[in-house]
Amino acid sequence: MSKELICLRNLCMAFDDETVLDSINLDIHDKEFLTLLGPSGCGKTTTLRIIGGFATPMSGDVLFDGVRINDLPPYRRQINTVFQKYALFPHLNVFENIAFGLRMQRRSASGGRAERIPEAEIRDRVMEMLEIISLKGFERRRPDALSGGQQQRVAIARALVNRPKVLLLDEPLAALDLKLRKDMQIELKRIQQQVGITFVYVTHDQEEALTMSDTIVVMDKGSIQQIGTPEDIYNEPENAFVADFIGESNIIDGLMIRDNLVQMYGRQFPCLDGGFAENEPVDVVIRPEDIDIVPEEQGQLAGTVTNVTFKGMQYDIIVDFRGFKWLIQTTDHSPVGARIGIKIDPDGIHVMKKSAYSGMFGDYSSFSDEYDELDSAAVPEDPGEDGHES
Amino acid sequence: MNRVFMALVFLFLYAPILVLIVFSFNAGSSNSVWTGFSFGWYRELLHNRLILRSIYTTLLVSLLATVIATAAGTFAAIGFFALRRRQRNLLNTVNNIPMMNADIVTGVAMCLFFVAFFGLWGRFSLWFNGVQSLVTLPTRLTLGFGTLLIAHVAFNIPYVILSVGPRLRQMDRNLVDAAMDLGCTWMQAFWKVILPEIKPGIVSGALTAFTMSVDDFIISYFTAGSSSSTLAMTIYGMTKKRVTPEINAVSTLLFVSVLLLLTVNNLRESWLERRRAMGIERRPLLPERISGPRRAWLRRGLAAAGAACFVATVAFLTGATNAQPTVNVCSWGEYIDEDLITQFEEETGIAVNYQTAESNEALYSLLKSGAGDYDVIVPSDYMISQLIEEGMLEPLDYGNIPNFSLIDDRFKNLSYDPENLYTVPYTWGTVGIIYNRAAVEEPITSWSAMFDERYAGEVLMFRNSRDAIAIALSYLGYSLNTTDPLQLREAYQLLADAKSKGVYQAFVMDEIFQKMEGGNAAIGAYYAGDYLSMAENAAEGVDLAFVVPEEGSNWFMDAMCVLKDAPHKAEAEAWINFIASTEANLANMDFIWYASPNAQALAEYPAYYEELYEEPLPEETYEIMAAPQEVLDRCEAYVSLPPETRALYNALWTELGI
Repeated sequence: MSKELICLRNLCMAFDDETVLDSINLDIHDKEFLTLLGPSGCGKTTTLRIIGGFATPMSGDVLFDGVRINDLPPYRRQINTVFQKYALFPHLNVFENIAFGLRMQRRSASGGRAERIPEAEIRDRVMEMLEIISLKGFERRRPDALSGGQQQRVAIARALVNRPKVLLLDEPLAALDLKLRKDMQIELKRIQQQVGITFVYVTHDQEEALTMSDTIVVMDKGSIQQIGTPEDIYNEPENAFVADFIGESNIIDGLMIRDNLVQMYGRQFPCLDGGFAENEPVDVVIRPEDIDIVPEEQGQLAGTVTNVTFKGMQYDIIVDFRGFKWLIQTTDHSPVGARIGIKIDPDGIHVMKKSAYSGMFGDYSSFSDEYDELDSAAVPEDPGEDGHES
Repeated sequence: MNRVFMALVFLFLYAPILVLIVFSFNAGSSNSVWTGFSFGWYRELLHNRLILRSIYTTLLVSLLATVIATAAGTFAAIGFFALRRRQRNLLNTVNNIPMMNADIVTGVAMCLFFVAFFGLWGRFSLWFNGVQSLVTLPTRLTLGFGTLLIAHVAFNIPYVILSVGPRLRQMDRNLVDAAMDLGCTWMQAFWKVILPEIKPGIVSGALTAFTMSVDDFIISYFTAGSSSSTLAMTIYGMTKKRVTPEINAVSTLLFVSVLLLLTVNNLRESWLERRRAMGIERRPLLPERISGPRRAWLRRGLAAAGAACFVATVAFLTGATNAQPTVNVCSWGEYIDEDLITQFEEETGIAVNYQTAESNEALYSLLKSGAGDYDVIVPSDYMISQLIEEGMLEPLDYGNIPNFSLIDDRFKNLSYDPENLYTVPYTWGTVGIIYNRAAVEEPITSWSAMFDERYAGEVLMFRNSRDAIAIALSYLGYSLNTTDPLQLREAYQLLADAKSKGVYQAFVMDEIFQKMEGGNAAIGAYYAGDYLSMAENAAEGVDLAFVVPEEGSNWFMDAMCVLKDAPHKAEAEAWINFIASTEANLANMDFIWYASPNAQALAEYPAYYEELYEEPLPEETYEIMAAPQEVLDRCEAYVSLPPETRALYNALWTELGI
C-alpha cells in the first residue's frame, strides 16, 4: 500500500447535541478501496460527507495530500461523489449528466486565462466513460428512462469523468435488487482497478464490504471499532460488536486461564491466542462453520438440537448448551431433539478482550428473528428528508 | 340520476355567467330582451377611456406583481425547504393563513397599515428635511399604484410558495450536493439544477399569481387609493347605476381571460405529466446543431431579449400612466359627460383620474381616513361648509379660473362659502319623489307617500342620514337644518315606524336607477336630474313621474373644490376652469340632466337641445331640470350642522339599523 492520501484527525461532529462522530482518526491510502461499514446511525455517511466537503466537522482536521481542507468547498476538492439514489439531474440526458462536471471546469490556459474544456474533448471523455460503464448508445436517454443499475453506472461515470483522486460512494448499491447488487459489486471493483484511484465506500452490508474492500473500517456509535483487511476483520474481530456484525458468531463468556488455554462452561479449550492476564474474563468467538459435530460422548461439549434449517449448501443448526444457544453450520443433518457433541479446533477459537459490547451479541435464542433482521438489513432504509443519515 | 344532479349543479354554477356572456352580444341595451346579435358593446369598450385605463393598470400591476412575487416566493420556498421539518411545517401553516384570510380583512389591514406608515413617514421626512438640506424627501405619501403593487405582491407570494414548495420536496436533496460536487458554487447549482427542477412549480405559481392579481377586487379596492383603478374596481363602479351591456362585455372579457389562463396552466401541467410518464425528452428551444459556446451565447441573447421586452413593456405601461401631469378628480356616479374628460386631456395634456364616491358622507369618511387622495372633489353645499370649517379645502386662485365669471350671480357667495373663496358651482337641483304612475292610484303630491303603509314594499328611501331624515323633517313641517333633538327624534320615529311596517323595499343610492327603470319599485326619493335619466331609460310599461312635494324639499348645489395641499393644484384649477365653461356646462347638462349654474348655459339649453335632437325640449322637462323660482321658494338648502347634531344624526341612523 502506498502513501496516505487523506488523513482524518480527531474528527468530532454533533447534530443537536447528539454526538455523531467521536474522535475519528483514519488514514486513507492512495488507490485503495476502503469501506466504511456499520449499522445506520454509526457515523459512516457523516464521515463521508465531511471528506466530500458537504459537512464541516466541529473539531478535528481533514488533510488531503498533507494539506488541511476543512474549509474547502466541495467544488474545489479533487474528490467526487456517487450519491445514494444516484442524484442524476432529471432534466439532462445521460450525455449531459456525465458532461456536467466537465462543463463546469475551467483550467488555466496560456496567459493565465481560465479556459473551458473544448467541446471535442468533452465528447471524447464522455464517450470513454460510457464505454467503461458499458452504456454506449444511451447518450440521449433521460435518467428516468434507465433501469436502476444503468442509473447507478451513469452516476459513477458522472463522477469519474472528472478524474478525481478519490471517489466517494454513499451506499450506491442499496437501491438495487440482490442479483444486480452482486453484479455491480464485481463491476465496481473492476472499474476501480481500471481507473486506479482511491474509492471510499459506505455501506451497512457486510458481505458487500468483504467482497470489494482492501480495507474495512467498522464503525458504531460514532467511533471506529476496527480497521483492517477483510480477513483480519472476519478472523480477528476486536470486540463482540465487530464479531457479530461481520458474519455469524457465537460469542461466549470465557476465562483466559493462561496463554493458549481458554475456559468456557467450566471446560478448558486449547486455542492460539495469548497476551491476556491470567484468569482474565474474555469474550470467545466461535464461527458456526468452525464447529464439528461429533457423537455426544466424543464432544468437548454436549447439547440438544432445538432447530434445524436447510440452507442448500449446509444446515443451520441451533444447539442449546446449558441455556445458551449456538449456531452451527454443518453439512451433516441432525434431527431436532438429538443430543450431540461438538469439537472445536484451536484455530477455530478467537479470544477478545471484554468490551462495552460484551454480553450483547452472540446468543441465538431468538434465532429466526435475528435471521430475518439480518436479511432485512440489506434493504436500504430511507434516511428521511431531514438531515442526513449519520 | 347522478348525471342529472351534476348537470343541475353545473347549470346552477354557470347559468349566470352564460347569461352575462350572451347579453354582452345583445344589440339593444336590455339585459333581459334579446334584440339581435352585435359586437357593439365591445366596440363601445374600445372608446371607454375609464375601462382602457383600468385595463392598463390591471395588466401592469398584475405583471409586475407576478414577476416580483414569483422571484420572492421561489427564494422563500427554498428558504423554507432548507429548514428543519418542524419549523418548515410551522412556516407553511403561517404561509397558508393569508390565502384563507378574508380578502376584506387583508384589504382593510393593508390600507390601515399604509396610512399609518404614511403618517410616520410624514413626521420623519419633516424632521429629516429640517435637519439637512441635501435631500428633500416627499412629506406626503398617498395610496396609489405603489401601494396597490405592494399589496398584490404580498397576497401573491403565498401562492407561489405553495406551488414551488412541493416541487422542492419532490426534488432529491442530493441534487444540490451533486452539482456542488461536480464543480458548481451554490448559485451555479441553483441556476443549473434547482431551477430546472422546480421550473414547472414556478411557472404554475406565476400563472396562479397572475390570475389572482387580475381577479382581485377587494384588496385592490382598499389599497389603490384614488389615482389607480383596476378593471375589477372599474366594473364595480359602473354597476352602481345600472348594469349596461358594456359591463357584460368587459366582464366577459375578464372571465374569458382568467379562464384561458387557468386552461393554459392545466393543459401545460397534464402535458408535462404525460411527457414525463412517456420519458420523452423535451425538444430544446434551440436546434441541436447549434452547440457549445455558440449555443450558450444564443441562449443568453434570447434571455436578454426577453428581459428587455419585459422591461420595455413595463416602462411603456408605466410611462403611459405616470409620465403625464395628472389631476385626480372624485365626483359622483354618471355625473359627467365623459367626452369632456377626453377633450380636456387632448387640449391640455393633463391626464384625468376620474373616480366616484357614493355619497357626501362616504366621501367625507374617505377623506378623513387619509385614503382619499384627490385634487378636485365635488361635494354638496352642507358638506362644503363642513370641510371649510375643518380646514380641509384649499382657497382657489380665481385668476386661473376666468370662467368663474360665467356663473349666475344667484349662485355666487352662497351660505356654504359666503366669500366664495373655495368653490366653483358644478350643478344644482332639487330632491323630489319619483313614482311610477302605473303603480299608484292617484298622483303623488306629498311626502306622506314615503311613509304610507299602502305602498308597503314599494318605496325606496335614501341610504344616507341627511337626505332620509330631511324627508321626514320636511313632512313634519320642520326646517331641514333643525338642531332641535326633539324634532329630529320625531323624524327618526316616523322613519322607524315606516321601516318596521315594511314600507321600505330598500334603502338605496344609485341602485335606485335600476329599480325604478325596471318597475321594481313604485316610489322613491331622489334627485331631479336623475329622474330624467330614469324616465329616458324606463322599461316598457313603466310610466315615471316626478314631483317636488308641496311640503317643500331640499335644493342643493354641488360645487368643485380643491383639497388642502393637493399635489396638482394648477392642474386642478385648469380642470375646474374647463368644466365651468359654457360648452362644458351644456354638454354636462345634456348628459346628466342637472341644472347648470352657468347663466348662459342654463338659458341656452333648450335651444342647444333642439339643435341636437331636432325637437323642442318639453317645457316640463326643463322645469324639472331647472326648477322655477316658485318651486325653489318652497325648498331649503342644507347648511352644515353643529357637531352635536351630526353626532345625533349618526346615532339615530345607527339606531335605524341601515
